[in-house]
Amino acid sequence: MALIFTGFSARLIHLQVGKHEEYTALAAQKHSIRLTVPARRGLIFDRNGEILATNIPVRKVVVDGSHLNNAEALAALAAPYLDLSEKALGKELKTSSKYKVLFSDLPEDKALALQKAMEKKGLRGMYFHQNTTRTYPNGPMLSHVLGFLSRKDPEDEHVVGVEGVERSMQDALCGKDGFRHIERDRTGREIVIYRGQEQAAKNGLSVQLTIDMGLQAILETELDNACKELRPENAIGIIIQPKTGEILAMASRPTFDLNQINSAKPAGMKNRAIMDMLEPGSTFKIVVVAAALNERTVNENTLVYCENGSFAYGGRILRDHHGYGQMNVHDILMKSSNIGSAKLALMMGDEKFYEYVRRFGFGERTGVDLPGEISGLVHPPARWDKLTITRMPMGHSVAVTPLQLAMSMAVIANGGKLMRPHIIQSVKDSEGKEIQNFAPEVVRQVVPAKTAEFVSKALMEVVTERGTATLASVNGFAVAGKTGTAQKVDPRGGYTEGKYVTSFVGYLPAEDPQLVCLILIDDAKLSPSVNYGGLVAAPIFSRVAEKAARYLDLTPASRAEALLPVAMRQTDPTEFRQ
Amino acid sequence: MNSMTLTAGHRSSHVNPIHLGSLTRWLLLAFAFSACGLLFVYVKNQQHFLGEQTRQAERSIREVRAHNEVLLARISALSSRSELQRKLDQKFITLQPIRDTSIARLVPPATAGNDGVLRTAANERLSP
Repeated sequence: MALIFTGFSARLIHLQVGKHEEYTALAAQKHSIRLTVPARRGLIFDRNGEILATNIPVRKVVVDGSHLNNAEALAALAAPYLDLSEKALGKELKTSSKYKVLFSDLPEDKALALQKAMEKKGLRGMYFHQNTTRTYPNGPMLSHVLGFLSRKDPEDEHVVGVEGVERSMQDALCGKDGFRHIERDRTGREIVIYRGQEQAAKNGLSVQLTIDMGLQAILETELDNACKELRPENAIGIIIQPKTGEILAMASRPTFDLNQINSAKPAGMKNRAIMDMLEPGSTFKIVVVAAALNERTVNENTLVYCENGSFAYGGRILRDHHGYGQMNVHDILMKSSNIGSAKLALMMGDEKFYEYVRRFGFGERTGVDLPGEISGLVHPPARWDKLTITRMPMGHSVAVTPLQLAMSMAVIANGGKLMRPHIIQSVKDSEGKEIQNFAPEVVRQVVPAKTAEFVSKALMEVVTERGTATLASVNGFAVAGKTGTAQKVDPRGGYTEGKYVTSFVGYLPAEDPQLVCLILIDDAKLSPSVNYGGLVAAPIFSRVAEKAARYLDLTPASRAEALLPVAMRQTDPTEFRQ
Repeated sequence: MNSMTLTAGHRSSHVNPIHLGSLTRWLLLAFAFSACGLLFVYVKNQQHFLGEQTRQAERSIREVRAHNEVLLARISALSSRSELQRKLDQKFITLQPIRDTSIARLVPPATAGNDGVLRTAANERLSP
C-alpha cells in the first residue's frame, strides 16, 4: 500500500512541479489570447472646427471554431444580419481556426441585435470586436485634399492613409493600438479576474486644416457650374491667403466621393492642383515684368517697341493680338503683349531671367503638406533653344502646377515674399489641447515691396476696360489679376489645335489682399474665338471672389456701382486676347 | 502475563479514555480549515461574479460610447454642407432674400473734423 501511494505521490509531484510550466503553457494556449484594443483614428476639422473626417463605430465579426456549439443554427440566425446566404455563412463557419474574420465593419446596431439574439438562443462562437470605419460627412467636397484610407495589404486589417491629409498626417492621426491579455472559459466568455497585462490604446490626434469650408463650398459650386456649362476636361480652383500662405480652398474636377471609394475613377482621384503641370500662358508674364524692374533692366518709364504686333526672332514670327508700338512696362502687362514680354527677357538675358523664374518658386516643389506634389518643369538655360528666351516669358516652354501659379501671384499680392503654402493649421489631442502649430513660413523675398506694388498697379489695370479681364471685376472692390490662355500641349509633341488651357489668377482687395484665387479651365468645349482666359476663367473668378468677399465680410473700398449689362454679341472677343 | 491477567479481570470495565481536549482541538482545526476552504471558494465565486458584473458594465459603457459616436457621426452628416445643399435642392428648406428694410446700407466713410479727430457714433454718445 505504502509503495502504491508512494508511486501516486511521485506521479503527482512530477505532474504538478516537474511538468508545471509545460501544462501551464498548454492551458494558456488554449484559453489565453492577446486582445487588441484598437486606437481611435483622429478627426480632421476645417479652420472653423467643422468636422471633415470622423469615425463610425462598427464591429468586426470574428468566429472561433473551437467555441462553436451549433454552427448550423448560428448560420441560420446570423445570415440575415450579415447579409449573407445561410449556405455561404455555414461554409464559413466550418472552420477550426480560432480567429476567422467574417466581417470587418458590421454596423453597431446590427451587431448588438445579433449578439442579443445569440445569447437568447444560447449560441456561441461568434464574437464582435470593436472597430471603426472612416466617414466623410461632406461626401465629395474637399475629396482630393482629405484623401482616403486603405489596407496596407489584403491580409492586414490595419488601414493607413493613402492620399491627401490622411496620408501626410498618418502618424499623428493613427494613434497606437493597445492590448490586453485575457483568458476565456470554455464558453468563450472572458474570465475577468484572470486579466493579465493591459496597455490602453493611445487614440490618434486631431488635425485642423487651414481650409475654410465656406470658401470651399463657394469654389466647388462655381467649378461645378462651370463644368456643366463648359464641359472641360479638367477644372481647378485654389484660394489662398497671400500673407500667410494658408490654403483656404482647393478643388479640382473631375472629383470623387470619399464615402464611395470603390466606385471612384482614377482620373477623378488626382489632386490636379499639385499633381498636374501645364503651360501657364500669359499669367507667367508677372515674372518677367517683376524681374526686369527689379534688375533695373527697365524702369517705370522705359518704352519698349512692340514691333506693331509682329516680331521676327530666331527664324520665327512672334505675334501680339494687336499691333502695339511703344509701350511701357505697365502697359506690356496690362495689354499682355507677348512681344513686349519677350523683349524684356532678351534685355535681361537668359541666366538672369531663369534665376527669377526659380525665385518665384517654379521648377521646385512648394513644400505643401500634401503628398504627391510635383515640381513642374523648368529647363535650365543650357537646355534652351534659341526661341525659349522669347517663349518662356509668355508662359510657354515651361510647365507649372496650379499651386505654383497661385503662390507666384501671392508674391505680388503680399509685397514680394514667396510664402510656403500649408494646409495643416494645427494638431490637437482628444481634449482639444494644441500639440503642434504650423506657423506661416517665408521662403524668400523674391522682389522688394516697391516692385511688387508697381506690378500690382499694372495688374489692377488688367481688370478694367483697358485690360484683358473686365469680366473679372467685382463690384465694390479693387481687383488685380492676370489672364492666361495657352494652347494645350499634345503629348506626342507640339500643340493640339483648337484646345486651350484658360486661366485667371488674381486677388482682392488690391490695396490689402485677403485672398488670391486661381481658376483654371482645361479644354473648355467652346469655339476658339471665345476660348480665352478673359472670357472663360475671369467670370468664374469674379463670381467666386464676390461671394468670398461677402462671406469673409470684406469692407468694400468704394460705393458699389450698378453694373451695366453688356451683351456678349457686342463684345469684341479680341479685347480679351492675351 | 500480568497484563493478560489484569486485562481478563478488568475487561468489561476498561475503556479507552476520550481525550476531549485534544479531540476538540483537532475538530476545531479541521473546522477552521474547512471554513477557510469554503471561504476561499466563496470569495473566488464572488470574484468571478464581480468580474462578470465588471464585464457587463464595461460592455454597457462600450455600447453607450459607441452609440454616442454613431449619433455624433450622424449629426455631422446631417449638418454637413452636402446635406444642407441636398435639402435646398429638394425644397425642404428655402433661402429667403433679405428685405430692403433689413439691410443697413453703407454711407460714405466719415472724415476727420478740423481738429483731426475721427468721431464715430459711439464716441459721440460717450463724450460729455
